[in-house]
This record gives sequence, C-alpha cells and structure tokens, in this order.
Amino acid sequence: MNGKNGNNSGNGGLLHPSVDKVLVIEGTHAASYAVKLARVQVIAAYPITPQTSVVEKLSEIVSQGDLAAKFIKVESEHSAMACCIGSSISGARAFTATSSQGLALMHELLHWAAGSRLPIVMVNVNRAMAPPWSIYVDHNDSLSQRDTGWLQFYAESNQEVMDTVLQAYKIAETVSLPIMINLDAFVLSHTSEPVAIPKQELVDEFLPARKPSFRIDTADPKAFGALIGPDAYMEMRYKLYSAMEDARAVIRDVDSEFAEKFGRSYGGLVEEYCTEDAEIVLMTSATAVSTARIAVDELRSMGFPVGLVKVRAFRPFPVDEIRAIAGRVKKIGIMDRNVSFGATGIIYQETKAVLYNAPVRPPLFGFIAGLGGRDITPETIKEIFSYLLNHDEPESETIWIGLKSKSAKQPEHPLPQNPGGQKKSEGV
Amino acid sequence: MAKYKYTTVEEMPPLAFSLESTRKIPTGSWRHVRPVYKNKTSPCEVGCPAGEKIPEYFELLRQKRYEEAWYKILEDNPLPGVTGRVCYHPCEGQCNRKPYDEGVAIHNIERFVADQNLRNKKLPRVSESPKSEKVAIIGSGPAGLSCAYQLARKGYHAVIYEADHEPGGMLRYGIPDYRLPKKILDKEIADIESTGVEIRPDSRIGGSVAWSELEKYDAVFVAVGAMRSRKMDVPGEDMKGVFTGVDFLWEINNGDVPKIGRNVLVVGGGNTAIDAARTAVRLGKKATILYRRTRTEMPAVPEEIEEAEKEGVRFEFLVAPVKVTGSKGKVSRIELMRMKLGEPDASGRRKPVPVKGSNFQVAADTIISAIGEEPDLSFLPYSFLKKGVRLFVDDDYSTGVPGIFAGGDAATNPNGTVVNAIRAGKEAATSIDEFLGWRTKSNGTPHEVVRPEDVNTFYFPHESRVKVPRIPVAKSKTGFHEVNKTLSEAQALDEADRCFTCGTCLHCDVCMTFCPDVAISKDESGEYVIDYDHCKGCGICVNECPREAMELVPEGSREEVEEAQQV
Repeated sequence: MNGKNGNNSGNGGLLHPSVDKVLVIEGTHAASYAVKLARVQVIAAYPITPQTSVVEKLSEIVSQGDLAAKFIKVESEHSAMACCIGSSISGARAFTATSSQGLALMHELLHWAAGSRLPIVMVNVNRAMAPPWSIYVDHNDSLSQRDTGWLQFYAESNQEVMDTVLQAYKIAETVSLPIMINLDAFVLSHTSEPVAIPKQELVDEFLPARKPSFRIDTADPKAFGALIGPDAYMEMRYKLYSAMEDARAVIRDVDSEFAEKFGRSYGGLVEEYCTEDAEIVLMTSATAVSTARIAVDELRSMGFPVGLVKVRAFRPFPVDEIRAIAGRVKKIGIMDRNVSFGATGIIYQETKAVLYNAPVRPPLFGFIAGLGGRDITPETIKEIFSYLLNHDEPESETIWIGLKSKSAKQPEHPLPQNPGGQKKSEGV
Repeated sequence: MAKYKYTTVEEMPPLAFSLESTRKIPTGSWRHVRPVYKNKTSPCEVGCPAGEKIPEYFELLRQKRYEEAWYKILEDNPLPGVTGRVCYHPCEGQCNRKPYDEGVAIHNIERFVADQNLRNKKLPRVSESPKSEKVAIIGSGPAGLSCAYQLARKGYHAVIYEADHEPGGMLRYGIPDYRLPKKILDKEIADIESTGVEIRPDSRIGGSVAWSELEKYDAVFVAVGAMRSRKMDVPGEDMKGVFTGVDFLWEINNGDVPKIGRNVLVVGGGNTAIDAARTAVRLGKKATILYRRTRTEMPAVPEEIEEAEKEGVRFEFLVAPVKVTGSKGKVSRIELMRMKLGEPDASGRRKPVPVKGSNFQVAADTIISAIGEEPDLSFLPYSFLKKGVRLFVDDDYSTGVPGIFAGGDAATNPNGTVVNAIRAGKEAATSIDEFLGWRTKSNGTPHEVVRPEDVNTFYFPHESRVKVPRIPVAKSKTGFHEVNKTLSEAQALDEADRCFTCGTCLHCDVCMTFCPDVAISKDESGEYVIDYDHCKGCGICVNECPREAMELVPEGSREEVEEAQQV
C-alpha cells in the first residue's frame, strides 16, 4: 500500500514500463523468479518448511531449461552452504534458501562464506526456533546469525522479496559479502500477492554477469582461507568489518539505481512513514510494518502525531538513519519479533547502542510481540502506541505485548482523550 | 613462520589465500589407503557358461558399434543367434539388477547383436598363425561346432565328422523352427566354416567312416551328443502310436509330418517335452503334458512353459505312466499312477513317490515319451571309461585315452543345454591346445565378482525390463513362425542402458567429479590418472563409483610412498 512518504513497494509499481508481467504469487515464488532473473548459476538447497516452495519452483525452472543453473540436491543445510561456497569461490553466482533449524545447522559455514568474502545470496524464511516446535514466524533464527558477517534484509511484501534478491546480488558482488534476505513464514512465504516481474533485459543491464576479483583455478591451485598467523588475522577481520561499513553507501546507491530503472524504492537501509512531523515513532521490521501502516493512518486521522520506521537492513545496522530520526522525535518505541534471553529484544538493544553516543537521546521503549507466529494486528500496534502516548518512560526494560498471564499486569492503555494534550517528553 | 608479502591492511587481499601454487605441497603423504582403478568381473559373465564378456559387448552396443559387439561375443561363442534365442540364460539369474528391480534381458540383447550382423560375413581373423596339427571332431552339435571354431581360431585344421546329412545336431533336429529358424543356424554354421573349419556330412564314425581313419589326426574331440530318447520302461511302449520326443522332433525338423492322432499325451517335463507338445499343437492336435513332479520341479525353461500354456498345452502333474495298452498293436489307452512329492533327491528337487492304489486309465491315440536323452557310444572301439551311459571325462575333458577328448551331452556331467555344450567345446579346445604343446596349462586368475551391494544404485533409477515382442498366440499356434521377435534398436539400447556394467569402468567421470582434491585427471587417451602427490586417500572416488571399478588398497610404508612420489 502506498503511504504518505511514498512507499513504492505496493501496487503502484505494477504499471511501470519496466514490468514484463504481473503474477499473483506467494513470497517464496517471488524469490524463485528473482533467482531466475538474476541468472544464478548454482542452486544448492535442502528442503525445510516453509522454505520448500522456493527451491521447488527453482527445480522446475531449472529442469524445464528456463535457467541454465546447476541444481544440487544435498543431504543437509550444512552441505547446501558448502556447495554455495565451493561454486561461488569458483566464480559462479550461487543461491540457497533455508529456514530456522536449517539456518542454525549452516552456522559454521555462514562464517566461512563471509570470511571468504563470497557474494552468496540466501533467502531465509523466518521461522521460530524449536523447541517447542513451531513453523510460524519470528526472527530469532536469523538474528542468532547476527555476527557471522552476513548482510541481513527483512522484507515487507512479496514485491520487496523479488526486488531485494535482485538488489542483493548487486550489493553482494560490489562489497564481496554474502547477503541473507528474510521473509516472514506464511505471512509472506505462503500468501499470494500481485508481483511485478521486471523485464529480463532490464535486469541484465542492472545486474551484469559476476566478475569475481579472485577465484579458484584448478590449473593454478591455491589454498583459500588457509591458516595465517596472529600477525595478519586481525587485518583480515578489519577488512571484513570495513566492507560491511562500506555496504551502507552501496545499499543506498543500489536502491536509488533500482528505483530509476524499475520505479520502486525501499529507502535503502530504512524506510520512514509519516515521520516528518511525528513526535512518537515506532520502529519495527518485516510484515509487521504493513500492519503498523494501517494503525498509523488511523491514529493520524484521529490527530495523534505518530510515525513509523521500517528497519529494512539489520546488518549493516542503520546507524546514521536512526540517529537522525532520534534527533527529531520525542519517543521511540521498538517492536521486536524476537528476544535475546538475558537481555531484551535485539533491535531495541542495537538501537540503544547506536544512540548512546548520539547528541540527542529520546526515551526508548522495548516491546516484544508476535513470537512463534502470534498475529500482530492493528490492535497490537495501537496498544503499543497507547503505551507510548501514556508513558514518559518505560516501566521496564522489556514490555511483552499480548502475554497470557495471571500475575503479569495486563496493560489496558486507552488512548488519551486529547491527541495534542499528552505530557511532553524531553530528551535525556 | 612464513613471511607475508603484505604488511598492512591496505595491501592485503580480501581473502587469505596462498601466494604460491599448492601443488608444491605433497598432501598425498597423508594417505594410508590408495584408490586404484581395478575392473572386476560381473556376475552375469560368471553365470554365462560360455563366459561371454557381457559388460564389454553391452558397452559396444550402447555406442552402436554392433559389429564390434558381435566380435566380442564371438570370442567365446560362435552361435549368438542360436543362444540369443534358445539359451536358458543363467546369466540373467545372476544379474545384480535382479534384486534391485528386474534382471537385464541379456539374451534378447545377444540376439539383437547377432541379428544386426545376419548379413555380416566378416569373422574376426584367426588370432594365431596356422599350425600343422589336425584335430577331428565327431559331431556337429553345439559342442563340436564350438570346439572346431575355437581350434580354427587357434590356427588348427579342424574337421567335423557329422553322421547326418546336415550339420547342427540337436540344434537342427531337436529344436523346432518356431524357436530357432533354420536360416539363423545355417548362417552361423556358415560363419564357423568360413574360419576354416571343415564339416563332412553323412560321415558316421563306425558307419561310413571307420574309427581308424581318425588315427591320422593329432587329437580327437568326441561330441556326439545324446540323441537317443530314454525308454519309459513300461509295458506296451513299443506299440504303434508311441513316439520318442527326439524322433518326433527329428521328423518335423527334417520336413516330414509324423502321423499322430488328435489326442497327444507327452510324458516328461523337460524342454524336449515342451517342444513336442507345442509342435503337436501346431499340427492342430490337443496336447497334454504328463509330469511326475510339479511345475516347480520342471527342468524346462520357465518362459517356454508359459508359452506352451498360452498356446493351449494342458498340464497334468504328479502322474507317472504304468503301462500302455491298445489293440492290434496300436495304442488306445495309457495307465497312469498318482505321485506325491517326497524328500529332495540328489538333484535337489523333491522326489516323486507313488501313491499306492491310485492307478487310472486315460484314452490316448498318441503318446510321446520325452523323459530324457542318452548318448549312443556304440561306435567307440576302445574300452573307454564310462560313467553310467556317458563317456567319462576329467575336468579338462580328457578321456584317459591320450589325445582323445570329449564333451557335451555325450560326456559326463552334462546339463543338456546348448550353452554348456558351447562351453565344453571352448574349454576342450584349450585343453587340446595344451595337449599339443602350444600352450602351457594355466590355473587362471580367480574372479573378483561384483556383488549387488557393491553397486551404487543411486546412479540407476528404477526401470522395468523390456517386454519382448512376440507374434499373437492365434498365429503362433497355427504354424512354425518364430514366436519371439528380435528387439528393436530402441528397445535394445534402452535395455542395455539398464545394465549396471558391474565392475567395468565406463569413463563416466564420477570419480573425477567427486575428488575433493582435484587429483584425478584424464590423459590424452582418455584414461584416468590419479595424482598421488595430492590424493589424500579419502576414498570418495571409490565410494561414489557407480559400478565397483575402483578399490582402495593399503598404502605401503611412509618411506615407500615418499619414494614412489619422487619417481
């Protein structure tokens, strides 16, 4: 849906001249078609619900001869990533997809892929970690891979899944780092939406064939990623760190270039909605953003000065963008669909961290909602905004929304009578 | 610690990789087992009495090199058109594909190869230079033809004495046209003659030719077969209307039509009985097979039993003849006795035991007894050692009389099949070669046979066995047209693709693809070369090989390995 700040990811883009055709497809298939358009050369994957249809569709595409790729069936996600690493280091464009426990099994090789500076793109369908078993969405699976050196994007719509896969190869091959694109289980993965499929020739212009800066050559074999001593390891880590820092500008540039060619933009690392004159903003990510847009529209129509910030890129973390927003607003609520046990929600933590050394630091409120696929509805969002409108400061470090508990205080936060009459908060 | 070329972060590459080639590092020294290419024997090849190199000719066939495939078969068997039609194909019983889905239709492929070369007159050249020795062969059945052919290939002058007017023995006179057309037999006998074998028809030893004439030969191979039907040993079996299976088929194959009645009873459960019954059906008669055991114990080829059934031959199991009765010397009834199955006998089959007081009579105008055949050895002048009705031979087919060898159904331990006769002829030719001093006895190398569990079936999707085309039953039972057809080229190629090619490297590149050390390559001739400097002996190539054509052998001492690497 189109918002006031010009979100172009919805239906507005369907009539753009770059569009070849519009298909009503689920999020997993949006990823599959994007992989085809990106002319990926090697696909290696192991099936796991709710990722399966990503690679199922790809296997059809490859077997029909519509994509000249090697499709490698493997016996585990660990092997899937190993295949991607092997093919990527030999110069191929590689893709895999997984979810939850499968992603956890890949963990060792996620480090290896990033440390090898390989531009692998992976789609991760966010699914809650077991036990207890769940196949529904939350973000702990991908956020557990925070420090592996992978870029992480969270998609709001099926169109954004498609567009982000195309952008991701360009970003990854520019900064030589792997990218994980996350989409919410079922809410995106198995829900059909109209998706504009761009013309192949335009994608080819946008994303030319990969030109690796180094690759394995069996005629001149070398040891890749072999042992080095303490006198050089740190420098190699610094290079990876710098590449991730550099990725911020690349993400913004690629998004602009994409907008020029295809008529859709996602704001780079973050997208703001109704924030220009907002006093209170909610930060969140993925499909909850869509829902929050409705709540924001409703509250705005009632006169409440609220806004929304979509965290699209989690790695690299949008430091400058968040500091700029913090400088303009009075309160920031962060809704995490995840939890770090012994701490708080993870985006909340990260936001606090980037603001500590910022000149202006409004109060931050950390909410946890929607774990294990519990629905986040407009009511959920409005409950959070009510809390924000009614409190100058949070009553606790984490506020669990919708928790079924006898002892826990069930917050009933009616909206204030006068939208303009709330108590003014000061930056600390 | 090694020195780095780069000292600052700005100079360093994005990923740590070695500056020099890793070929300098002989990681092969880590290895304690070594992969080697070693072809093994397929079980079909062991199962084939003639020892045909089945995986090899299959591969030639897959490459559509039909002539070379034919030559490959001819090394061991000069009669592939015959065996492709009538062999009981024990090879297929051993096929590793059998426990996986269905065995490969090897004999149909053999027939296809033979038929592809029906107009081909070029036989493989005699491999050795001509020798002065002459060998006489008595009998031009499969054993005699095979022996003469192998001797000719070794450079000997082989002369076959045939008692009948035309060569072929049981192939010609025992097997009806609907299973083996005469033109196929004639073609393959002509091929054998073209290698220099001389066939003298109408030359019965002890008849028109005296035994003494054989004295001018350096060796003799006796292969007169078993052409005489065994007696039922019941009263009345000499009556008019009682035939032996061999005589009955002989007449038919000679172009005569024996005078038989409408109601034909055939006694016996072997291939002769089946052939006699199916022939009777073709003459418009009602045929019933009487067998003293059950279907399971019948020695006839199962497919032939099925065909007979399709054509309307009826079966009566667990009955044995007691006596034949009739009037004016002509048969009108047969008295039978019920049997039941007892303990297994020497053949491993359950023995028929008579049921007392179960005798009953059946009307019959024709009885054909086909309970087995035995050789006629009355022409032999010496007191050759015999065992039962057969001529005793050692494992090397020698008779005990120097220079005289024997094989096939006339000699001991026959199994009464064409292919075993072909084997006897081939092996006797080797023994004769040794006897004449041109070859030293070898014990041969033991076979390492590929087992079903050795095959990496991951590489072979399930595929059902080819359905052999045949003419409609309505047509087959009214004439002597060949019942089964030759596979089409597409069918033959598809069926050959089902073959695992156990134990023979097909250069499929799986080993090369899987080697994690890129230590396998191909030389100019397309053969694989393992770079043992870098092969770590992980064994993945051996494990992945679809057909067990590689193996891991223990590595020598570290010093030996290093020494080997320096060479």
